[in-house]
Amino acid sequence: MSWNRVAVVGGGLIKFGELFEQSYEQMAAGAFAAAVDSVDEGFEPTQVEAAFVATQRGTLWGQEGIGGNTIPTAIGLPGIACTRIENACPSGSDAFRVGAMAVASGVYDVVLVIGVEKMRDKSAEEGLLARAAAGHPIFTRGETAPVLFAPFATRHMYEYGTTREMLASVAVKNHHNGALDPYAHFQNEITIENVLDSPEVCSPLHLLDCCPQTDGAAAVLLVSAEHAARYTKNPVWVAGFGVATDHPYLHEKSTFTAMQATESAAARAYAMAGVGPTDIDCAEVHDCFTITEILDIEDLGFVEKGKGGPASLAGETSLTGRIPINTSGGLLAKGHPIGATGVAQIVECWWQLRGEAGERQVATPNGYALQHNVGGRGSGVSVVNILTNNRPNS
Amino acid sequence: MNSNINILAVGAASPAWRLNRAEINAGWGNSGGTGQVAVCAPDEDPLTLGVEAALRALNASGLQIDIVDGLWWGTSRPPFAEGPSHAVMARAIGLSARSTGALCSGSTHSGMEALFSAADAIGAGTARVALVVVSDAIIPGLGTSYETRSGAGAAAVVLVSHGGNAALGARLTRTNPYLDRYRGDGELSTRDLYDPRLFREEIFIPSLHEIGEHLGTLDIANWSIPDPDGRLGALVARQLGIKSVVSAPVIEELGDTGAAAALLGGIGSLDAAGSLAIIGFGGGRTSGVEVRINAPVRGAAAVAKSITGGTSVSYTAVTRARGQLVGSGETVPMGVPPQSAQFVRGADEILNLLGARCVDCGTINTPPSIHPHCISCGGTKFVLEPLSRQGQVHTYVINQTMPAPFIAPLPIAVVDLDDGARVMLQGVGDGSDLKIGTKVELVLRRYAYERGVPVYGYKVKAI
Repeated sequence: MSWNRVAVVGGGLIKFGELFEQSYEQMAAGAFAAAVDSVDEGFEPTQVEAAFVATQRGTLWGQEGIGGNTIPTAIGLPGIACTRIENACPSGSDAFRVGAMAVASGVYDVVLVIGVEKMRDKSAEEGLLARAAAGHPIFTRGETAPVLFAPFATRHMYEYGTTREMLASVAVKNHHNGALDPYAHFQNEITIENVLDSPEVCSPLHLLDCCPQTDGAAAVLLVSAEHAARYTKNPVWVAGFGVATDHPYLHEKSTFTAMQATESAAARAYAMAGVGPTDIDCAEVHDCFTITEILDIEDLGFVEKGKGGPASLAGETSLTGRIPINTSGGLLAKGHPIGATGVAQIVECWWQLRGEAGERQVATPNGYALQHNVGGRGSGVSVVNILTNNRPNS
Repeated sequence: MNSNINILAVGAASPAWRLNRAEINAGWGNSGGTGQVAVCAPDEDPLTLGVEAALRALNASGLQIDIVDGLWWGTSRPPFAEGPSHAVMARAIGLSARSTGALCSGSTHSGMEALFSAADAIGAGTARVALVVVSDAIIPGLGTSYETRSGAGAAAVVLVSHGGNAALGARLTRTNPYLDRYRGDGELSTRDLYDPRLFREEIFIPSLHEIGEHLGTLDIANWSIPDPDGRLGALVARQLGIKSVVSAPVIEELGDTGAAAALLGGIGSLDAAGSLAIIGFGGGRTSGVEVRINAPVRGAAAVAKSITGGTSVSYTAVTRARGQLVGSGETVPMGVPPQSAQFVRGADEILNLLGARCVDCGTINTPPSIHPHCISCGGTKFVLEPLSRQGQVHTYVINQTMPAPFIAPLPIAVVDLDDGARVMLQGVGDGSDLKIGTKVELVLRRYAYERGVPVYGYKVKAI
């Protein structure tokens, strides 16, 4: 029996990319306006009672840590309740979960969840790459983002015979989907050879195995189940969610062929939603690197452990495959503006369940879509949200 | 044997890189040049070299490390101009917090000063086991004649009051306030001689003659003598009638290893009964000491292997590693400043490579200071213990994309140690020798150098 106490009645995002011309505030305003405009029966911005803003890093201008009081002014709602949620790469999906709980608690009837990330006001060296020098001075020294995932690829290839071609097929598929998504950072097709021939970033991952650094923002509007009908005849319900953590250091992992945080978060979300992996019609999963998507589809139960590579190469996760994954283009093609990523994935699920995904539309016979992120130090935190277009239980 | 200053064991170490002299010459528009010098990789320095030599000597000695009474370290380039150089090395070797000793520095003669100071401590009875470490990696001035001769290496000697198959005998020192090679306060690299002939005729040859003639009266078979330019050593030997210069092949392999040169040149010959004279030179001082060997000294047979090998690298790579070729961009600062509290809390667990073994389930948690609860069972009772220094690779990557000051390729490996602990650490070299299952050892290396602080930790090295 799904939870279904909260409805998503609006969602939108801005075109992702290197948005040198837009400020953090302008991106947020754009995403909020898109969400407001998407509400079928109309929506007055002032109806927002509280906002949860996901920003993982912030910008050169110091928004990190103070997104909570930057966003209300930026979106024209100074004075509203607003709280920043930071939970690594799942920041956006966790803000969504917290927003849903805030509505379900009865404290608020209308909540805005907005994810905003300005990644490209800083150079790559000062931005994500600088984390090579962060953290423990010895045990994480040199640990750029690919180092959190590439050791899993090395081990997955060793234990299951996963090949670089199988990894590359994930990037090829997601770029294909991204080329159909007007909001995607990259809108071009690539080939397996392109991936194999791209420069090595962190063995065994090459450049096109990696997501780009992207600016972006996305927003969704959540309302309580009893008020959903005021806004739309076609709401999408929060069926369930799960959050889980794992040890923060890679050397504390007991396995390098699965993300245990994902497995635990998925189990909690499936239990709450009363569904299993075979009930899911499509999923937006965390493909910061090609290996991550292969781990995800195994850890989320869509394919047997160890079979993620062959399944991807065989097209099982394509738009016309058994379980379409990352119809939006995923992090690899749509981009990964960290705080915005999870919220944008929710928007894609919302479109798919409402039949509004255009050329990317897939069949949703069961009416369930799953959204997933995993990240943080040691990829030690994961959030899974499950959405449904099935009628509420009440 | 009438001395009570005995040599129980010896060890040696050399850095990872070798630079062909022809490469240096080519850099300055000159052709030719044969042979090579040893050079520190960016994660090595006289401290890491010294620790490696010390651990080899101590392993060969069969002694428990905590009975060593002190460390006497001679180097012309301690990693801190002022700071805890000696303390960091002592702790990384695993010496007791109660151990004593001294850091001798200021010139290449400091190796002899460390040896003599340790011998004096044994003689005075203030130490029964003294560890002597001599190590150096002089940074020669760019374009100097000495640049093609300047090498790097380390030697260690365990002196004891009782036992050991060799003993120190007569020794002497001569002091003259002459300038040879020098480095001003705050200067990065060592300056060349003002006048090579002045050095040769008025300083080097007379100094060596005086010491050599005295030691020559003692019927010495083997000699370790300095050779600052690749010719003077052989010249002096010929003039003194010395037939067996055991330091020559060491200099051929490593170049002039500065403060380490005298001992490093001689300890390999302690592998057989006989006699040895060791002469050290620098900073206006020349010293010599007689060594009588009754039987092979522990560790001496391994010295030759410890100083061979190494990877040939370019002159550009060397000048960058030495800090003489510096990029114009910004470097990324350490997230945890190297003078901050985490380094105070973490000094022991990092330098001694400690783990916290859970009393309830046996799981080893690393590092202890960030694990108030066991990662396996949640237990809170731990026993601190040094981690095994060997294991095998569980998985690994080679990171090619990092901002300065990182240098790609940077291997990073998850290693299952023989005691069951799992660690993730950087690897030495380019990682081409790492595979899943590769057997590795953990070695002390310099992870970073920032705000004047060298940061040391362990790295993974394929066996």
